[in-house]
Formats: sequence, structure tokens, C-alpha cells
Amino acid sequence: MRFGIRAPTLPDGESEAAVVDLTFSEADEQFRAEFRSWLDANLPAEWRERGFWRRQDPDRAFEMRRAWEADKAKAGFAGIQWPKEYGGRGGTPSMRAIYDEEMVRYRAPLTVNSLGLTFLAPTVMVIGTDEQKRDIIKPLLHNEVIWCQGFSEPNAGSDLAALQLRAESDGDHYVLNGQKIWTSNALHADKMFGLVRTSQEPKKHRGITMLLIDLKNPDGSYVEGVEVRPLKQMSGALDFGEVFFTDVRVPKANIIGEEGGGWDVAMLLLSFERGSSALPQYAAFRREVDDIIELADSLGRKGDPNLRQKIAKNIVELECLRYHSLHLLTQVEQGKELGAASSMTKLQWSETHQDIGELFADVAGLYHQVPDDGVDVSDLQASFLWSRSETIWGGSSQVQRNIVADLVLGLPR
Amino acid sequence: MFFSLTDEQRALQATVREFLADRFPLTSVRSLYDDPDNDGDPSDLWKAVGEQGWLAVTIDEEYDGLGLGLLDAAVLARCWGEGCAPGPFLPTLVAAEAIRLGGSPDQKKEWLPRIAAGEVKLTLAATGRVNASNDTLSGTAHFVEYAHVADRIVVAADGGTLWLVDPSAAGVTVTRQDALDRSTRLATVSFDKAAGERLSGQVLPDVVDRAAVLTANDLAGIARVALTRTVDYDKTREQFGKPIGSFQALKHALADLHVATTMAEHAGWYAAHALDAHLPDAALSVSVAKAKCSDTARDVTAAMIQFHGGIGYTWEHDAHLFFKRAKREEYQYGDGTFHRERIARLAVDAARS
Repeated sequence: MRFGIRAPTLPDGESEAAVVDLTFSEADEQFRAEFRSWLDANLPAEWRERGFWRRQDPDRAFEMRRAWEADKAKAGFAGIQWPKEYGGRGGTPSMRAIYDEEMVRYRAPLTVNSLGLTFLAPTVMVIGTDEQKRDIIKPLLHNEVIWCQGFSEPNAGSDLAALQLRAESDGDHYVLNGQKIWTSNALHADKMFGLVRTSQEPKKHRGITMLLIDLKNPDGSYVEGVEVRPLKQMSGALDFGEVFFTDVRVPKANIIGEEGGGWDVAMLLLSFERGSSALPQYAAFRREVDDIIELADSLGRKGDPNLRQKIAKNIVELECLRYHSLHLLTQVEQGKELGAASSMTKLQWSETHQDIGELFADVAGLYHQVPDDGVDVSDLQASFLWSRSETIWGGSSQVQRNIVADLVLGLPR
Repeated sequence: MFFSLTDEQRALQATVREFLADRFPLTSVRSLYDDPDNDGDPSDLWKAVGEQGWLAVTIDEEYDGLGLGLLDAAVLARCWGEGCAPGPFLPTLVAAEAIRLGGSPDQKKEWLPRIAAGEVKLTLAATGRVNASNDTLSGTAHFVEYAHVADRIVVAADGGTLWLVDPSAAGVTVTRQDALDRSTRLATVSFDKAAGERLSGQVLPDVVDRAAVLTANDLAGIARVALTRTVDYDKTREQFGKPIGSFQALKHALADLHVATTMAEHAGWYAAHALDAHLPDAALSVSVAKAKCSDTARDVTAAMIQFHGGIGYTWEHDAHLFFKRAKREEYQYGDGTFHRERIARLAVDAARS
């Protein structure tokens, strides 16, 4: 898939294949073949059926996915881009993209350790000590430790720097008092990577520290002073909760980065979620659109010109997301920093997914409200509700627009 | 995996941008706005286009061209949009594609080397109703770009056949129209048993796809410059004692337009590459690009007027140059609604059922 323009000549006289080329390398495709044959052999057929996971008891479903993912990691299909010495595969960014694509294509279950995988692990890989890399990455990939993220507090949402969870110094420990909220995976998590206030400075962005906090003891009981309460989401699920700390002691050795440097660590951490290529989102959402088209067909609405325009509008936005992601992948492979521009990616995928949720409801009409009234819409229904959270978590759309306006366009504050 | 412009394409982009800014800035475009009777085809600009080889980009080397791809032509089209550049450059490129794809060896030999050298100007007439019988054409084509300066018009007749017509031949009448966008001159062309020379290939859909991609890239160029100029103005224009660009009502709108413009830019590159490489999703990507670039350029140029306040609605300000060009190109080769319906045919009707 190359077109006829000669490659630029590099100073040393060697020619680099820097023409548009959307194919993956042979090694990348070899990886795809290996992963697919593992999935063929190890992913139970019924797991791939529509609505399967919705029909399972949530706690049992969690344990099934946890164990399956651990097997996948042991087979070498986890931490694709991370070094082998820390339990990763030592692959390329393209392999990572292929991995994500195949996971969606196979309707493989979503990870149970998404916060650890998406946020903590890449952060540790960049700024963690060697000891932290060793202690954190492999147990995370093997689901021996489930992580949650402790950022938001009742009075610190979009204004994250207003957080108040106090960490007072006591020898080589901190003593924690305060609360976190909207904590995803709170009920299943063994540990939290959280932002705490280690000093009361006039500039609130200072005095914040990123800390790794044990929530549970090795025997599965909660650490003294930790209390977790579930919060019911608008979907009815109990996927997030509140975490309270009363005189909880945490070793100072558990700092990520430096004391007082937590804000910068948090910004680095969030950039991984926003800035990674959105090819997995593309693959998942494009399949949802196909499911919606099938739904329109079964309801006899495929010819409705108004719906056709709406379906096509979402395909336009998704295809743009894919082209944009291919460009990001190129930049990542060239070792370029994506920086604040990554907020664009988050806006594009989260806003588009929300529109796809509305498209589902428009196509389904009254059928949108019942999981299966002769037409199984349970997965689309769940996605429709969940898409309302995606423009809030990881930095709301309004915060992302501020970032684009201030840091990309350079508009005055 | 590489999806970006090459160093050579970036160098080409920089050269064309600089050339236009230096030799044919918006003040020159404005002079065409103030003089509707002018033919809108500045001779020094056309001469330079020929000398630089910009018309030779997609023409095969055996016809004295550069043998490059549509992506390289798209780089040029984007610069043209950025500068609201006038002249029959894009229509000549499009007509050349018709001859390149659908012409006989003799027709190619007659026309392509002269197009590559900038010796002749061509255009495409694909809107209206023209009937072909016994190698003569009758009917009327509308909104034909630069027909009044063209050496040949490639005319699309009923049934999708393509014909080379000499506008000075008997039975051809070219009537200039004063359109809203004066950066591009339009004419109505009527044919009364006019002689035509058939291009044998059934290539009209291919030609229109390629024209749509070039237009999409022109639109992406318009959108980027309109956005940048608006952001720059809003950084300095003060009201209520502050730069208006510090107000969130503007910030959030401009941020959304930046995201949309970035997506439009990627879509423009991708569709050009998809046609060059015959990717399976080429047709889809053409419609994605034209729909996204049309809608985005319309939205950004409208915001350019709005976010400049009163000055943005004046003849003296440049906003209307971008706004009117974006509006014309929005409908040229299919607007968003047209291309979304085409996407629905590709994705909805083809889906399993």
C-alpha cells in the first residue's frame, strides 16, 4: 500500500520509507496471527454472545474475567509495549494497536484492571523507580493486585487541585485522614494510587503527592482505618464507590515521583488515557454502529432518510477518529510527545460515543428502554448509559476544551 | 505504519504557501472582489503555476508530468484554500484527471504535456443537463469554473459520457455569472449542436471523486486559516477590560472548531491516499472527507464572522472571502447531506441483513 513518490533521502544517503503506508510490518502481523490463535483456543464461544456478561452475577463475572486475563498474561498477551523484565512483551506501539483491535474484534471481555493498566502502569514505567517497576507491573498484569484510582473528592472534581485528603508526616510514614469519591473498582480493589495533600501551601497545585495505598491486607480484609462504601450508578451498577481513611498509615517509600510533585504526576498519568491512540475506541464504537444498523433493519427502519443521515454522521466522526489515531500512532512510533493535543482525542471519541448512544435510542425508539423485548438491545442500552459518564471521567469535556483553548490555541486565561 | 506528510510534501507545502503569501496575498484576491468584470485569472499567477510544475503533479512522466499522487495534489489544493487563491488551477487539474483516466493515447499526448507545462487551461462542466447525439452536444451546463478562459471544457453529458469541447467552437455560448465567491469565476455554458470529442473511458465517477477530494482539501485549508486568524484576533481584541478570547463562551466554541478542523485535515489526507493506493474503503473515505471538510469549513468561517463582531461583517474584512469560498465549495461535488446518504448506501445498505 505505497504510492509512487520517492522517499526522502536522508543525510547519510540511506532512504527511509517515509511515505504513507497503512500496513503493519511482518513482525506485527506475525504477532496478530499468534494472538488470534490464542484467542481462538482460549476464549469460550458463549462469552462472545451478545448480552452474555449482562446475564452473569457481577461478582462472579469479575472473577471469571480476572482469571481469564491472568491466563492471557501468562501466555504473553499483556503489557504488549512494556519490557519483558517487568512482565511485558517488549512489543511495538503497532502491536499494542493490533492487540486492542483484536480484543474488540473477538468481543473479548474488558479488563478488570483498567485503571491500573491505563494509568498507573505507564506512569510507573516513565517515572517509577526500578523497584516500583518490578513490584507493580507484573502483579498488575497478572491481576494479582487490582488497582483503583483515588483522585476525586466531594469538593474536588474538575477542580482536582482543591483535594483535601490529608497525609501528615510521622517518621517514615504518612497518616491519612479524609475521603475519596467516584472511585471506580473501589469494591474489588486491593490498592489505590491516590493524590493526597502532604502540605498546606498557598498554591494549591503544590503540596499534592501521588501515593500508593494498600486498601486490603494480604488475607483480603480491609486495612485498619479504611472503609469502602458502594455508590449506585445511574445504570444500577455498583462499579464505583466512596473510600474513607481514618488514621491510615502509609510508608513514605510508596510515593510515585516526589513529595509535593503529585500534580505533575497526575497530569502525566491523565495524558496516557487521553493521548493513546483511540483505535480501540474506534473498533468498539464502529461495531456498535453495525449493531445499530442491524437493529434498524430488524425494526424496518433502515430506509428512514433521517436515521440514515444520523448513522452516516456518526460514521464520519468515527472514521475521522481512526485517521486521527493512525496519525497519532505514527507520531508515537517516531517518539514524539503528544502533549495537550491529546485532549482532542478524548473529546472526539467521548462526544462521538455519546452521539452513538443517542443514535441507538433514536433507532430503537420505545425499544430502547427494555433490555430484550423480542429484540436484544441490552449491550447497546448499557453502552448508551455508560457514554454519559465518558464525557465526565478522565477530565470532563469542559475541562478538555479549556486545555485545548489554553494550551493548544494559546487563548488568554 | 506511517500516516503523515513526507518531508518532501511538507517542503512543497511550505514553498506554495510562501509563494502565495508573497506573490498573491489576500489583497490581490480582494482586488478581484472589487472588479467583477476582471476575468479573475491573474496572468502572473498562472505563469508561475506552470513554471513551478504544479499542474504536472498527477500527470504521468511519459507525458512530461511528475507522476505523483493525488495526495501531492491535495497538498497544493490545501494551500489554494488557505490563500483563497483564484484562477483555473483546480479545474485544470480535475479536467486533466479526466483525460489521464479516460482519454485515448492520442488525446493524452495532445493535452497532458501542454497541461503539465501550463500552456493550456481546462475545466470540467458536470452540473446541468447536456445531451449528446451524433458527436454533438446540446443543453446547458451551470456553475462551470473559468469556462471563459478555458482552452477546452470537459463536458459530462447524459449517461455519464465525457466530451472535450472547444468553447470558441460554433454552437457554444459562455455567459459569465457574478457569483458570491469572487475568488472563483463561474459561467453558464450552453451548447447548441456543438462539436465534441469523446473521451472513451467511463470515468466520470472517478473524476468526481478525485475532484471532491481536492475540493475537500481546499476546504480544510480555508478552515485552518479562518480558525487561526479568529484565534489571533480574539487574543488581542478587548471588551469588558479583557481579551475576548479569555471568555469561555468563545474558548469552548473555538476548541470544538479546532478539533473539527484537525479531523477534517486528517480526512482530507486519508481520502487522497486511499484513492492513490486503491484502498477498499476509498469510496467511503471520499465521502467522509467531503462531508467533514464541507461542514467544518462552513462552521469555522461562520464563526470567523461572529467572533470578529461588527468588523467581521464588513466588505473590508477578509472573513467574507473565506466564508463565501467555503459556501461555494460546500456544494461543489456534493455537500454533507449528499455524501452522508452515499455513506448510508455504502455502510447501511451493504450491511448484513
